[in-house]
Amino acid sequence: MGLPVRVCGIGVARSPGDEAGERAGFAGRVAEAMAAVSQPGAQVRLFHVIEEAGVVAARDALVAGGVSLPFGGDAIGVVVGVEEGIDGIKAEYFRGILKDGPLGASPIAFPFTTPNTIAARIAILLDLRGENTTVSGGNLSGAQALGLALENLRGGRCGEALAGGVTWVQPIFLDALAVVGSSESGHAGWGAGFLFLKSGATSAGNTEGLGQLLGYAEGVGKNDIRDAVQECLQDAGLAPERIASVRVASTSDPRSLVEALHRAGARVPILQSPSCFLYAASFPMAVAEVMEQATDVATGPVLVVGKDCLAGAAAAIVRRGGS
Amino acid sequence: MTETVVVTGLGVVSPLNPEGDLEGFWTSLCAGETAVAKVRSFDASSYPCQVAAEVDRERLGTYGPEEEPALRMARVAFTQAIAHADIVLEAYVPRRVGLVVGTVLGGTACGERYLRAGGGRGGVMAEGLEHYPLRTVAAHLARQTGCAGPVMTVSTACASGTDALGIAYRRIAAGLADVIVAGGVDAVCELAFSGFCALRALTADKVRPFSRNRTGLALGEGAAFLVLESERTAAARGARVLGRIAGYASRADAFHLTAPHREGRGLAAAAAAALQDAGCPADDIDYVSAHGTGTPYNDAMETFALKAALGGHAHRVPISSIKGALGHPFGAAGAIEAGTCLLAMRDRIVPPTANLEEADPACDLDFVPNRARCVGVRTALSLSAGFGGQNAALLIRGGA
Repeated sequence: MGLPVRVCGIGVARSPGDEAGERAGFAGRVAEAMAAVSQPGAQVRLFHVIEEAGVVAARDALVAGGVSLPFGGDAIGVVVGVEEGIDGIKAEYFRGILKDGPLGASPIAFPFTTPNTIAARIAILLDLRGENTTVSGGNLSGAQALGLALENLRGGRCGEALAGGVTWVQPIFLDALAVVGSSESGHAGWGAGFLFLKSGATSAGNTEGLGQLLGYAEGVGKNDIRDAVQECLQDAGLAPERIASVRVASTSDPRSLVEALHRAGARVPILQSPSCFLYAASFPMAVAEVMEQATDVATGPVLVVGKDCLAGAAAAIVRRGGS
Repeated sequence: MTETVVVTGLGVVSPLNPEGDLEGFWTSLCAGETAVAKVRSFDASSYPCQVAAEVDRERLGTYGPEEEPALRMARVAFTQAIAHADIVLEAYVPRRVGLVVGTVLGGTACGERYLRAGGGRGGVMAEGLEHYPLRTVAAHLARQTGCAGPVMTVSTACASGTDALGIAYRRIAAGLADVIVAGGVDAVCELAFSGFCALRALTADKVRPFSRNRTGLALGEGAAFLVLESERTAAARGARVLGRIAGYASRADAFHLTAPHREGRGLAAAAAAALQDAGCPADDIDYVSAHGTGTPYNDAMETFALKAALGGHAHRVPISSIKGALGHPFGAAGAIEAGTCLLAMRDRIVPPTANLEEADPACDLDFVPNRARCVGVRTALSLSAGFGGQNAALLIRGGA
């Protein structure tokens, strides 16, 4: 059994709907975030919506957790999950080369073809100088980011961590990858979800925060979901009957997922997260839903489960409230 | 931390040893051979810079005609590492065996082929794209070995390989796994080449790390994997121990997307934190494997960082960069360099910094120019830095 960590802030940004007001609202959040983190007199322009989503969600999570920004230290670790969500940018960049040869290579766009760019942008703008890691596990990218942050907190590598996922799902590669079984088919859209986590040891009482991350585990191979769920229960020190509900954070075939969850011992309502199609962002967003708005959590811990066709399965147990 | 983490196997594929012959790699590296030559994997004739360090793909082992070069290199290096460790992964509880792979580009070459063929513009043309996702290599290697423990793909730019090893080290040390095979891989592709060319970071001829006349980096490619085990597990099977991972840390510059902090703020902090993690005073370091890309900014920054982290000992310790020989293999770099540290410990010799032609006042440390040197290495520090201000440091100690 591992020590729980506290969820002290959440930040979520996602594709606005068709309403002009929603779009304007997101633009306002970006402007607010940039004004808050920029040095006086400096003008920083974000290049891409995936960057905007990442910075806005990261900033919201930290501010909600009481962090003053820009931070200017190395006490907060950053772990970001990304997947093929950046590949629309890669495709745009490479098409420039196909069209115009070397002159089509944009030195401004090029950095955004590297997976760690969003984590770097968050570090630069929010002045977070601690550990900074980007992981990629398809649908599980955001889950793996949470898992790695949990490991780092439990191991005393940092006292606080910002962890989550970002995506900008474009059909260009997604449709093709779905055909060959390398990615799930999903909707185009973008989003980012971040959690600001603190180890239990950083303050007495351990009740501060929105809730707790009690356990986490991953599974690989034939029994991935069963392994992830069973090990996660073990990690949280909970018997299966203590779980109040299950929240699915991926779009994988719901029937087989439900069957696998039942085999793993889930005997409670299974809900699909409305953010399940947002790939790398889906898992942290599902956790954020539990913390913020879910009506199914009053009765106890919630098991959040995600699945990826290549990377396997991940499970987290979270509980709303500090105690 | 409860478990001591040892290295029991090493596999390297590089332009100097496309078939994965580890001794061939080491001999060539110490002899000062360089692999930077005219680009072969795509037509670079319209670019102002036209050199890279590529693996001869005719000589690279294959596991299927459709395999993407990064996956092929990874499989060869992985298989060599397992053989070198003389370990049967299938003999372990699958949940206790893990994998961590560092990569920046993944199967980008597949994506390039797809786009060249008009993919993405109406209709689906998915042939050959199955190896495109970043996590492909980790997924394939996990299937190959049947490992069911923690499997992760790390993408922290040029620090990916070092971070992969660091994460694996921490997982074993924390008792989350008994054995983790960790390393990195990347293959040259036009997307990366064009980008670094546009940023004016590429050399037109040779890579000259720490030399006053350095003109930039050359793209490289390759793969390296290390077999990491808990000391307890390795001892139980009587494994030969190549060395111990004793410390690791990563830090962000939080400064610029493509340029390093001019005084190496993040790299110095990472190195200092790795020393602290290992409980190792700076004076104990016998060798530093530098990131040393051969760009004006990186090498000057790294010199600053070494002085900040090691104090006066920075002027006494031998430091070399192998990127003059191998170019910059991105996600594989940190893993190949960690392997180099282990071989340096084994043979009491440190590889040279190739093409270090003119001393640079801004790089005024002992960078072991052009000739390998006999040094008894018991403790080595391997440094990596990358795009976005990524920095990572790994501290490796001898096996004895």
